[in-house]
Amino acid sequence: MTTDPGFWLLQTLNALQLSMLLFLLSIGLTVIFGLMHFVNLAHGALYAAGAYVAASVSAVAGFWAGLVLAPLAVAVIGVLLYGGLIRRMRRSGPMAQVLVTFGLIFVALDLTRLIWGDIALASAMPPLLEGRLSVLGIDYPLYRLFVIGLGLVVFAALAFVLGRTQIGAMIRAGVDNDAMAACLGINVERLFFIVFCLGCALAGLAGAVAAPLLSVSPDMGLQILIPTLIVIVIGGLGSLQGAIAGSLVYGFVQTFGAVLAPGLASVLIYGLLAAILVIRPTGLFPAKG
Amino acid sequence: MKRHVLAALGLATAFAVPAHAEDPVRVGLLLPFSGVYAALGNDIEAGFDLGLETFAPDSGFEVIREDTEVKPPVALAKTRKLILQDKVDVIAGVVSSGVLGAVRDAVHGAGVPLIVANAGNDDATGSACSPWITRMSFSNGQVNRPMGQWLHDQGITRVFTLAPDYAGGRQMIGGFVEGFTAAGGEIAGQEFTPFQKTQDFGPYLAKAKASGAQAVYVFYAGSEAISFVKQYDSFGMKAELPLYGSGFLTSPLYVNAEGPAAAGVVTALHYVPTIDTEENRAFVTAFEARTGRLPSEYAVQGYDSARALVEAAATGARGRAGLGEALRQVQFTGPRGQTSIDPATNNIVQPIYVYETVQGDDGMTQKILAELPARPDAANGCEMAPVAN
Amino acid sequence: MFRHTFLRYAVLALLAAAALLRALTAGYFGLEILAEILILAILVLALDMVAGFGGMVSLCHGALMGLGAYAYGVLCVHAGLAPLPALAGAIALTGAVAWAIGAICARAHGIFFIMATLAFGQMAYSWVFETPLLGGDDGLGGIPRPDLSLLGIDLSDSRSFVLFCLAATALAYGAAVLVLRSGLGRSLGGVMHNEQRMRALGLTVWRVKADVFGLSGMLAGLAGALAAMQVMYISPGLLAWTTSGEALVVVILGGLGTLVGPLVGAAAFVTLKHGLSGVTSHWHLVVGLILIAVVMSRANGLFGWLEARWGARLDRRLADATREDTPREATNDA
Repeated sequence: MTTDPGFWLLQTLNALQLSMLLFLLSIGLTVIFGLMHFVNLAHGALYAAGAYVAASVSAVAGFWAGLVLAPLAVAVIGVLLYGGLIRRMRRSGPMAQVLVTFGLIFVALDLTRLIWGDIALASAMPPLLEGRLSVLGIDYPLYRLFVIGLGLVVFAALAFVLGRTQIGAMIRAGVDNDAMAACLGINVERLFFIVFCLGCALAGLAGAVAAPLLSVSPDMGLQILIPTLIVIVIGGLGSLQGAIAGSLVYGFVQTFGAVLAPGLASVLIYGLLAAILVIRPTGLFPAKG
Repeated sequence: MKRHVLAALGLATAFAVPAHAEDPVRVGLLLPFSGVYAALGNDIEAGFDLGLETFAPDSGFEVIREDTEVKPPVALAKTRKLILQDKVDVIAGVVSSGVLGAVRDAVHGAGVPLIVANAGNDDATGSACSPWITRMSFSNGQVNRPMGQWLHDQGITRVFTLAPDYAGGRQMIGGFVEGFTAAGGEIAGQEFTPFQKTQDFGPYLAKAKASGAQAVYVFYAGSEAISFVKQYDSFGMKAELPLYGSGFLTSPLYVNAEGPAAAGVVTALHYVPTIDTEENRAFVTAFEARTGRLPSEYAVQGYDSARALVEAAATGARGRAGLGEALRQVQFTGPRGQTSIDPATNNIVQPIYVYETVQGDDGMTQKILAELPARPDAANGCEMAPVAN
Repeated sequence: MFRHTFLRYAVLALLAAAALLRALTAGYFGLEILAEILILAILVLALDMVAGFGGMVSLCHGALMGLGAYAYGVLCVHAGLAPLPALAGAIALTGAVAWAIGAICARAHGIFFIMATLAFGQMAYSWVFETPLLGGDDGLGGIPRPDLSLLGIDLSDSRSFVLFCLAATALAYGAAVLVLRSGLGRSLGGVMHNEQRMRALGLTVWRVKADVFGLSGMLAGLAGALAAMQVMYISPGLLAWTTSGEALVVVILGGLGTLVGPLVGAAAFVTLKHGLSGVTSHWHLVVGLILIAVVMSRANGLFGWLEARWGARLDRRLADATREDTPREATNDA
C-alpha cells in the first residue's frame, strides 16, 4: 500500500463525504424514532423523492432552486403522510407503524416509476461547485467539500436548536418521557408533527444533495435504506451524537474497508453492526439510559 | 391420473403435426417489466415489437408477455407456464444472467427454442450451451476482448480495471484482460466493487490514480454507470488517466443523464445508434418515431431477435424443433452490420464498434472510432449437438 | 401458548381441503403457484413461531431459507449426497445457524433485534453472493428432487411434488404446534410477556429464545430445501432482506401469533401477486396499498379480523369447556 500521505488524506475526505451524506439522511430518521418510537422505513423513499424533485427542478431552474425546493416538497409529502396515516397510527404500536411505512415503500417505488419512468436521471452540478480545490496539496472536488460542509452546518444547527433553544428543550423532554412532557403543558402532538416534517425535509435535502453525485433511479431509496438503518442502530436511536457517530463509523469503515480489505468490503460493516449490537445492544449513544 | 412432465412434453413434440402456415407462431416474451432492469425490459420489448411489425407486417405471430421481476424463481415459474400451459413455440427475452441460469435447464429439457435478447453470461454459449438456446445479443467476453488489442495498438500498455463484483462484471473484465495481455499489455491493478451497494467510488478512484496505470478500463451499467462516470469526471481524472470501458458504461439509454461528464470516454460495444448504414438509419428513424428516444443496444437486441424469429419462420419451419433448427441458420445484415449465428456455440457473431462519447447538438452522441471485425468466441467447452427430440 | 379454537380448526380444514382439491385438479401453472404458496407457508409458520409467540421479529428468515436452499444444493451437487440425507443435513445446518443467531441476538429487543437479525441476514447474503463455489450471482443449477420411486412416487411430476410439499407443510404445522405447546413454547410465551419476571423465576431466557429460534430456523431450512427442489436452481436473491420483509408482510396480513393466519396470508399474497402481475407491472403499488389498508384497519390481519368477529362467538356457542383459563406453567424450563 502506498505511503503517500496525499493518498490517505484523499481517502479521509472520501470517508467524511460519505459520512456527511449519510448523516443528513439518518438524522431525520433517528429524531423521528426518538420522539415517536417508530422506524419510518419509507425514509429512503422520501430521500428518493427529494432526489427526483431536485433533478426535475434543476433541469429547469438550476441546482440551487432544486436544493431549496426539494426539501420543501418532501416536507409537504411529510405533512400529507402525517395527516393521512401517521397521526391515525399513533396508538397502534410501533409494529403497525413500521408495516405501514413498509407498504409505503412499495407504493412510492411504483409511483416514482409511473411519474418519472424507469430510466435513471441525473442532475447537473452547479457551475459554482464544479471545479476542484487544492487542500493540503491534493486536488479535491469542490462539490464533495460542499457536501462535507453542509453536513457539518446541519449538525451544528441541530446541535444548537436541540441544546440551546426552547423548542429543543421541548423535543428533548418529549424524547425522554412524552407523557411527562405532555403533563408539563407541552403540546406533544404538535411537536411530533414539527419533528416529523423536519425529518422529511432533511431526507429531501439529502436526496437533493446526492442527486448530482449519484444517479437518480427508482430503487435508490431502497438501496440507501439499509446503510441508513445501520448508521442509526450503530449510533444509538434517537440521539444527534448517535447519528453523527454512526455516520462516521459507517463512512470510515466503508471507505477504508474498500482500500485495505477490498474482499471484505461488503461483509465488514454487517460484522461490525452485529458486534456492536452484541456488546452494546442499544448502540453507541442511545437517547435514553 | 398422473401426468409426467417430461413424458407429456415428449408426447407433445412427438405428435406435433406439421402446422399449417396460417397458424400463428406462439412466442413467449420473457422480460423484466418491474425491478431494477425494467428500463432494459421496456427497451427490448419496444425493439421486439418494432421488429415484428417491420419484418412480419401481416403478423402471423402471437406474443404472450411475462414479467420476470428479475427474480430467477419467478422467471422459471413463468417459463414453465409458457411452455406447459400456453404451449408456446419459442421463447424470447431474458435480461439477467441469473434468470438465464434458472431457465436454461427448463428450455433445454423441454426442447423449446430460446432466443436470448440480452443476458451475456459466457457460459450460456460455453460450457452450458444448448442447441435450443440461440443468443442474439452478445457475450460478456465478446464485447470486451477485441478492445484489449485495440487499446494496446493506441500505445497504452498499463491499465487499471474496475467492475462490480458479480459474475457478469468479472467476465467483462476477464475478456478485456485476456485480449490486452495477449497483445502484450500489463494490468496495473484490479478492483471489484460491491455490486449495487457502492455509493461512493472515490476510494477506488484514488487507488486507480495511485497505481501508476496509463488508463482505466471499467465495466458498469445502469445507475452504477451514471454514478461512476460522474464521480470519475468530478475528480478531474479524465485528463491524466483516460477512461475506457465496455460500451454499456455510456449506453444511449442513460448517457444523457451522465451529460458532459461522459465526454471523451472511449468504449466498445456491438451497437451504437450512429452507425452510418442504411439499415441502421431506417431502424433509428422507426424507433424514434415509435418511442421518442434513440434506440439503445438493448432495443436493437430486441429488434434483431424479432427479425431472427421472422426469418426462421419464413423458411417454412414450424413447431419447436423446426424453429429451433432454423434459428441457428439465421444470418442477415441489420442495424449493427452483418450478423450470423456461430454453429459451434449458437452465439451471435457480430462486429464490435469502438466509439467516443462526444457533445452533440442536442445531448451526448457517439463518434465511431473503429469497427473491429466480427470474431466468434472460442467454444469454451461447448459441445453442440443438433436439435433433437 | 398456542391453542386451537373451533374457528382455527375450521379454517385449517378449509385450507387443507382447498389445497388438496387444487393439487388434484389444477393445471401446470396452478400447480406452480400452489407449490409457491406451500413453501411460503412453511417459511411464515417459522416466522410466526418466533415473531408472534416470542416477540422476536426477525428480518433474517429469508436468509435462513436461502441457507437451507444452498445447503441442500451444495450437499447434492458438490458433495454428491442423495437428496433425502441432503435435506436432513440442510435442515440441521440451518437450525444450527439459526440457534447461534438467536443466542447472539437474545439480548437485543424491539428494533434492535430486527436490525441485528437483518445484519446477520445481509452478511449471509453478501457471503453467498461473493462465493464462487456457490455460483455467485449466477446461482447454482442442476439441483435434484428426492427419489421416492420406492414408494411409487415420481417427484419430477408437478402434481406429485405439490402433494409432497403439502405433506411437508402439514408436518411443519404439526411441528410448530408441538413446539409452542411444549414447556419450551410456554416458557417462550412467558418471556414475551414479562422477561424480567421469567428471569427472576430462574429461567435461562437466552436459552429459551435460542432454542425456539433454532427450531424455527429448521422449518425455514425445510422451506429453503423445498424451494431449491421446486425451482431446481438457486440464486442469492433468495437471501436478500426483501424476502424476509415479504415474509413478515405475509405474517401480518394473515394475523400475527395465530399460526393459521399466516397460512391464509401466504395463500392470499401469492394469489394476489400472480393475479395482479398478469394485469399490471405496477402490482407492488396495489400490494402496498392493501398492506396499508389492512394495518390501518387495526385488525390483526385477515384471520385476526375473522377471529375477532366470529371466533369468540362460535366458541362460546360450541364448547364452553375449552375456553377455561388454565394458569400458565411458567417455570417449565426447556
